[in-house]
Amino acid sequence: MQRQHHSTADRLLDEAVTALPDDAIVGRESHETAPAVVVRADSVQTALSALRSTVGLDHCSCVTAQEYPDRFETIYHLTSYDDRSRELSVVVPTKHDGPVSESAASVYRTAEWHEREAYDLLGIEYEDHPDLRRILLPETWQGHPLRADYDQDRPQIVPLKAHANPLQEDHRGGGTDTMFLNIGPHHPSTHGVMHLKVTLDGEQVVDVDPDVGYIHRCEEQMCQRGTYRHQIMPYPDRWDWGGAGLLNEWAYARTIETLADIEVPEYAQVIRTMSAELSRILSHFLFTAMYALDVSGEFTAAFMWGFWDRERVQDILEELTGQRLMFNYFRVGGVAWDVPEPRDEFFEMVRAFTDDLPHRLDEYHSLLTNNETFQLRCVDTGELPPAVAKQHGATGPVARGSGVDYDVRRDDPYGYYDRLDWDVVTEDDCDNFARVLVRLQEIEESAAIVEQCVDLLQDWPEDERTCQANVPRTLKPTGECYRAVEGAKGELGIYIRADGTETPARFKIRGPSFSNLSALPAMAEGEYVADLVATLGSLDTIMGEVDR
Amino acid sequence: MATEQMLPETLRTMIGLPDSVLGQAIAAFIAAFLVGNVMLAYTGVAGPWAKRKITAAFTDRIAVDRIGPFGLLIIVADAVRLLAKELIIPENADRPAYDLAPVVVAGSAMLGFAVIPMGGLGPLNIQLADPESGLVYVFAVASIATLGLTMAGYASSNKYSMLGALRAIAQNVAYEIPLVLTGASVVLFTQSLQMSEIVAVQQQTLVTVAGFSIPSWFAFVNPFAFALFMIANLAEVGRNPFDIPEAPTEIVAGYQTEYSSVYFVLIYLGEFLHIFLGGAIIATLFLGGAAGPGPESIGFLWFTAKIWGVFLFTQWARSAVPRVRIDQLIEIGWKGMLVLSFANLLLTALLVGVIA
Repeated sequence: MQRQHHSTADRLLDEAVTALPDDAIVGRESHETAPAVVVRADSVQTALSALRSTVGLDHCSCVTAQEYPDRFETIYHLTSYDDRSRELSVVVPTKHDGPVSESAASVYRTAEWHEREAYDLLGIEYEDHPDLRRILLPETWQGHPLRADYDQDRPQIVPLKAHANPLQEDHRGGGTDTMFLNIGPHHPSTHGVMHLKVTLDGEQVVDVDPDVGYIHRCEEQMCQRGTYRHQIMPYPDRWDWGGAGLLNEWAYARTIETLADIEVPEYAQVIRTMSAELSRILSHFLFTAMYALDVSGEFTAAFMWGFWDRERVQDILEELTGQRLMFNYFRVGGVAWDVPEPRDEFFEMVRAFTDDLPHRLDEYHSLLTNNETFQLRCVDTGELPPAVAKQHGATGPVARGSGVDYDVRRDDPYGYYDRLDWDVVTEDDCDNFARVLVRLQEIEESAAIVEQCVDLLQDWPEDERTCQANVPRTLKPTGECYRAVEGAKGELGIYIRADGTETPARFKIRGPSFSNLSALPAMAEGEYVADLVATLGSLDTIMGEVDR
Repeated sequence: MATEQMLPETLRTMIGLPDSVLGQAIAAFIAAFLVGNVMLAYTGVAGPWAKRKITAAFTDRIAVDRIGPFGLLIIVADAVRLLAKELIIPENADRPAYDLAPVVVAGSAMLGFAVIPMGGLGPLNIQLADPESGLVYVFAVASIATLGLTMAGYASSNKYSMLGALRAIAQNVAYEIPLVLTGASVVLFTQSLQMSEIVAVQQQTLVTVAGFSIPSWFAFVNPFAFALFMIANLAEVGRNPFDIPEAPTEIVAGYQTEYSSVYFVLIYLGEFLHIFLGGAIIATLFLGGAAGPGPESIGFLWFTAKIWGVFLFTQWARSAVPRVRIDQLIEIGWKGMLVLSFANLLLTALLVGVIA
């Protein structure tokens, strides 16, 4: 298996090297799961467009930047929407003094935001970037906090100029007939602290500029200070307070297990699969409830029902993990403990929920998706054509609502998914309604997975119920690895550079909402304010993983 | 012609005030005070308590039940809470307009109740005045509220408020016309604008089925007009699917974004009074006013039940129906409701012409 994987990787690397102009390549590196080509900083655009068009790597999953003592490095993690097993890292080193690198934003739109983040945190200048501003930190911030020489005691003065006088004449980019409107940072429908700089022409949106970073909590740095074995696992829960914590934990678990070569016992994989899908149901129900609120306003029936159904799932997860929100249940090499005793009662509890679910989902369909007013609002609004979705690196239900058949659970199998019977849900209509349908159907699929896992767990021989692999007390892996799982919002990837110490040298999180949100302007411009809100809701962004 | 005595006149003779201008004025004041307070009391019950209870029932949960029997004392608690809050006035607010707006919103609805025949309660006939132009009057004063909303939105010096005010104007213009036209179709039947007369015409028996006589309430005579009126009324009072002037989650709270404390209470009172006024107009025009089984002296209870019924309907819509978008709302108003209400008017005119 491993050997075969390597040979595909080698083939891909050969293909890539052939496609690239000779003078662009500086060297090769070996990363876990993805081979790496090292490319000159002034030929990023030619290299990436060759890889995109010739080798078919149309998905720029993530952009990582990091500092070495002698250089800065930008890594573009590329893969293909059609074949997730084709993974390639493009490493772009730049000199340490005044790092300048060519921007990839003209090849992959999603790189625009990712490079802004790299510029913000590490100060790498991207030449030819359409809009190189800070993204997570305020525009007035001094210094680049991920640099080794960053002085964190330096006082920062952070005025928010946009809010200096919210009523002053401001008609950016549309003549005098437009009105500039700040939606957020505190607004009922930004689902967390997000700020949309909106230019309106009457009720129509001329321009949207999402301003993120209000709850940037240095998650990556905190993880870089934690030891692999125990101290990092609690953090992923905090990237998503919508219930998807277990999925996030799995992202870290998968990456470190690949890096440290840890084999997870099958029994633990089944428990992981079951609990992660319950976590996904939590998140999707929250979406449904909140979306009903976005479209209807105030406390509607669908909103409260969503919370009722979440409550049942939360009860189950509370029984299993002891927690309702910050589960901290996964461990490196398995899960914390076995399902609670008496086992049959627990399984009965899960089955009671999954058996009742089709009936509950019918209610959502009759209240929302079959409601003509709801359709009036959601059909043909917030359109995201598949090509645009791919350009922005959209994944998860957002991409699947645009007919992009991409799901990491199936395309790059992990856990127990490849041995279970379930389907990847896609809808081809590309609008808000399609995204709602995708999520409602995914709840059904997740429930089907949970049911199969319960069957497996119930029949598992008693002496083979190993919850954790035998993992050393301290982990000191080496190497570089980018690994992703299918989170509730899409592809949740983590890049770790391990340098042989107990803590990561670089820990980079690819929050799916970050990329999905970057598509908002493309979806909402030209629409009504009400649709802007509905479209934003349909992306199901969670600021915890956008701002990190 | 209505023969019954109006409430001020009854009160004047009961108290024994002289039949002078002053005596009539005092009696009218007392009567208006009583009716106004009853309506305010309904609103007080509806806002902090009934609305929560009803929404909770629709959304499968329990609401206020901690304070007092059935949680009823929440009304007192909320009144204290709301009035005790700081009154925050934006720096750039346009002062007289900003302060007047809540009064206009609440007051315009109160004025409407002056001509509504609310039926008998014991020896009293609860109606403050019965001018011949009653229906025109009630539509006229009810639409003054739009002025209040515009003032609130414009004077708040807030972009969300402004958007809300513009939406409110667009919505009220689009829906007032179907509302009045549908009301006019009732007038074609009654051939009178006098409220008591409109109610009196509906007391005749429409058909008798198995011993039960069904009165000729206009909701039965012309259900189409009734449905149109109910829908237009939802837009008029700004409830889902037409709550776009406030549209929380879009424009925060629309025209009321910048109002707090007692001003907020006044605007909120105004909104609920408008729902009840809408209910009162519907009851009068389509549901036989205060008519119902039992003696006439309990008519007021039937009237109360009817306006609460309409309130319940608005809350149901609020809980279950998503909101339409501003352009869709305008389209439904001008291309749908307006055409339908004209069709209804012509049809009614034809029917009345043929029958009469």
